[in-house]
Amino acid sequence: MRRGLRFEGVAVAGIGMIRFGMMKDRPAVHLARDAGLLALHDAGMTLADIDEAFVAYITPGSMLGVKAMKELGLTGLPVNHTENASATGLVAFRDAAWAVASGRADVAMAIGFDKFTDMVGGGGGGSARDRIDAPILPAAYFALWAQRRMHERGTSVETFAKIAAKNWNYGAACPTAHRQTDHVVTAEEVLASRPVADPLTTMMCCPPDDGAACVILAREDLVRSRQPGRRIVRPLASALQSESYSRGHTFVGPVVGPSTMTSDTARECYEAAGIGPEDVHVAYCHDAFVNEELEYYELLGFCAEGEGDRLVADGETGPGGRIPFNTDGGLIARGHPGGPTGLAQIHECVQQLRGDATGRQVEGARVALAHLVGGGSVCTVNLLDAVD
Amino acid sequence: MARVPIEEGFFRIPDDPGEPPRLLGSRCPTCGEVFFPRRFVCAQCLHEGTDDVELSTRGRLWTWTYSHVPMFGKVDASVPGYGVGQIDLPEGPRVQSILLGGPDDFEIGMEMEIDLEVLRENTDGDEVVIYRFRPVAGAEGSA
Ligand SMILES: [Zn+2]
Repeated sequence: MRRGLRFEGVAVAGIGMIRFGMMKDRPAVHLARDAGLLALHDAGMTLADIDEAFVAYITPGSMLGVKAMKELGLTGLPVNHTENASATGLVAFRDAAWAVASGRADVAMAIGFDKFTDMVGGGGGGSARDRIDAPILPAAYFALWAQRRMHERGTSVETFAKIAAKNWNYGAACPTAHRQTDHVVTAEEVLASRPVADPLTTMMCCPPDDGAACVILAREDLVRSRQPGRRIVRPLASALQSESYSRGHTFVGPVVGPSTMTSDTARECYEAAGIGPEDVHVAYCHDAFVNEELEYYELLGFCAEGEGDRLVADGETGPGGRIPFNTDGGLIARGHPGGPTGLAQIHECVQQLRGDATGRQVEGARVALAHLVGGGSVCTVNLLDAVD
Repeated sequence: MARVPIEEGFFRIPDDPGEPPRLLGSRCPTCGEVFFPRRFVCAQCLHEGTDDVELSTRGRLWTWTYSHVPMFGKVDASVPGYGVGQIDLPEGPRVQSILLGGPDDFEIGMEMEIDLEVLRENTDGDEVVIYRFRPVAGAEGSA
């Protein structure tokens, strides 16, 4: 039987992340160390308090997870390695929450890091195209989805540009976002940026970047006793799926889909939590390419199929709207290094639910949703809530 | 000079250079679903063991884009960009492929045909080829 997980008695003890960006000269394990220390400090803990760690990264590197943890100390704790493409960080969060909920750990750490600057170099060379299963540019893959949306629903590129501008402007208000502009970004500016894969322009796509983020989860009673007076944020439920076969699946080349994977995974998560999309106050999704965010408004249940365009026109997913999306700038502006991406989403969820998101706070936010898809493909949806 | 595939098991190169290549697929003997590329376990009903089939050389363009960025799948650095698309074959499989043609040549629903593109010459002097799809001459899109 496949179903979402409901977490009981688990709370966030600490969060930490470094601002994403290009950090060519800093080793990945040092990025991880700095994010890990921030989370430990936020939790009022040292590594001696951590019973188990889940290390999240995509860039291959033998023993890299254990080496990263050693930067925080050598306490003999069990270290697990998690990889699920773009969804990696959220899956590590889910595993850490599950470790505490199951009773196997009192305190668990999910820590993610990746360095795009360590991966680039080849790409356009002969090796990639000399394979049948050659990677196409990720933007091209999601542009295929955007073209289909425009064909079926009449969505305009201006709608895509409006969503991108919203995320750029949210990013400018978030200190840990990679892209922070000194001016208000308009849809016109987004449309005028360099074309990548029609209809997507550079400002509709996430940037390459490096980064690290960390979330520490613990038994709720421990967090309450160690952090008196602080609002408690709890992981509520989680669902994770790989694909179910349906006609139209492409087996060769990069795959993220079908889109129904997001609606199926969301349904599992809502059912496990016993709430629905109408109960969620702020949401985070895989907006690596801007047309995705439009689709996820519908697939995550925040409006009916085909009504995402109206949500954008009415400003419902921006500041002061009914369901603000990606208040830290999302993958487009906060950045998307890979492993730490999902943990950065949780970092922002926790800030919002604690009421600490200065300059971008969603008033009265008590329930948050974090969604990512990953190539291959996989999807995860996670719900958190806040209690006094 | 012979033509050799960049990877075995995905397509057959006919002896006659005027004939199009054939994609190699699998049909499930139980539920009838057809797959590309070949696979042993049916993805739909989990039956073990499938029958080899060759797929049609023409299909309909489900979606497409034109990539302007010189990365991944680009054959020649002097080419300004390249098309990427998904083609629905009459047997059922949806095939993702680099497209031959310019940025204004594609439309959803149009008929596409498979072709071979020469990537390079190998050390034996053979032409290394890969499959691509191109619009059928005079084809137009449809809903
Ligand atoms: Zn079957």
